[in-house]
Amino acid sequence: MFSVLICDDSQVARKQVAKCLPQDWDVAVHFARHGEEAVAALAEGKGQLLLLDLNMPVMDGYQVLEHIQSHGLTTAVIVISGDIQPEAHERVKKLGALEFIEKPIKPDVLSALLSKHKLFAKQEVAPAPQLDRLDPNLRDCYQEITNIAMGQAGDHLARILNVFVKLPIPNVNLIEASELTMMLQDIEDKETVSGICQGFVGAGVCGEALFILSDSSFSDVAQILNIEDEVDDRVQLELLMDAANILIGTCLNGLATQLDMHFSQGHPVVLGQHRNITELINTNRARWRRTLAIELSYGLEGYKVQCDLILLLTEESLKVLNHKLSHLLED
Amino acid sequence: MSKELLSDMTEFHWMMDMLQTVDVGLVVLDRAFNIKLWNGFMESHSGLLPSQVREKCLFDLFPEIDQKWFSNKCRPVFDLKNRAFIIWEQRPYVFKFSNYRPLTGTEDNMYQNITLSPLTSTTGKVDNICMMIYDVTDVAASKKMLESAQVTLNEWHERT
Repeated sequence: MFSVLICDDSQVARKQVAKCLPQDWDVAVHFARHGEEAVAALAEGKGQLLLLDLNMPVMDGYQVLEHIQSHGLTTAVIVISGDIQPEAHERVKKLGALEFIEKPIKPDVLSALLSKHKLFAKQEVAPAPQLDRLDPNLRDCYQEITNIAMGQAGDHLARILNVFVKLPIPNVNLIEASELTMMLQDIEDKETVSGICQGFVGAGVCGEALFILSDSSFSDVAQILNIEDEVDDRVQLELLMDAANILIGTCLNGLATQLDMHFSQGHPVVLGQHRNITELINTNRARWRRTLAIELSYGLEGYKVQCDLILLLTEESLKVLNHKLSHLLED
Repeated sequence: MSKELLSDMTEFHWMMDMLQTVDVGLVVLDRAFNIKLWNGFMESHSGLLPSQVREKCLFDLFPEIDQKWFSNKCRPVFDLKNRAFIIWEQRPYVFKFSNYRPLTGTEDNMYQNITLSPLTSTTGKVDNICMMIYDVTDVAASKKMLESAQVTLNEWHERT
């Protein structure tokens, strides 16, 4: 798969750039916080296209360009910088950059340059019917039914583990495919994680539950469950599955009861163990455009345990759900 | 006999027939892990007739099943009415069934994904659970092959 490396010291800028990548571009996106990380990523073969900032700590953009030139790397580089001095333009062009884009970056500018250099050809697709923004009242409804469902899930987890579960406020959003990766990056920026996903379907509503446990949680979870054996990969997978079974199962049950329906659940699939979040998701790059994401992050009081449950519902499901929820909105 | 009743009976009969022949293992267990139901899939792969297993304890018949581990998996199903899933990546199998395809089978044993689902009694309590056993040998074999190919590719990549 074509890989794009975004190098910028600002997280906001990295997100901004990722957001500007063409929606229907099937690429793996990697991130670097400064030049040194970028050079390391390039050495691993991540980044056939590098979107590079200039002013950064540790190693700046000019140094990265010099490195690419001196090592004869084939990476295509587009510089994205707030430095709008003509001198800067010229210098980066001399150092082998294809183009220079001024911040703030605009999607159409980037996509025009990508097609100019034959990096990405825009496919003519019929525009998908635009879903209206999530009605604030409906969002309230989703938030409320999730609140109830995850309260039950938290209670179940607490009863099985015998600990106090810190309940989160559910985050309900309509998101675009490209935003999922960014949303997940908010969860874990540095840590490696392990993840399970499981499809669910019932009467016109379908989606996928994504369960993510940060790797640093395992030793505490093992302690809570009195596991004396060495916590190797196999034990960790057991713990991951046990937690996922309880949280996904009870959360879906809770939602189903309130919606007066029933969900069947498919076989869980291991997304990966000890990976970073982009790797987990890139392996199954989304085929959808928009989804309703319900994001829940649980913590256990007194322990260093962090897990996230994300329910992603397809666009088609929303019509059914909205209809089912409409009775809650009536006075 | 009325027409409706007859048709209900026929449907019920069909349903039973399908459960008996479906290529998924179905077992019903009580809280003491005694076997209450054992369908055709289980009979074929284990070689044990329903009459040989009914009311007998699962762990006595299949000593290869880790009792503590399996009871732990079943606890949330009984206590919380929550479905639980066991996948082949955790343990390749729960029931040691041997590969039954001499020509195209590549593995010695059947890889299994298992769903544990609560069965609510008329009183609303969960006294029995249902175990569904899926044969995922082909999936597991392809995944393992893919992974080993990736390892070979990486090694080759590092050497050059």
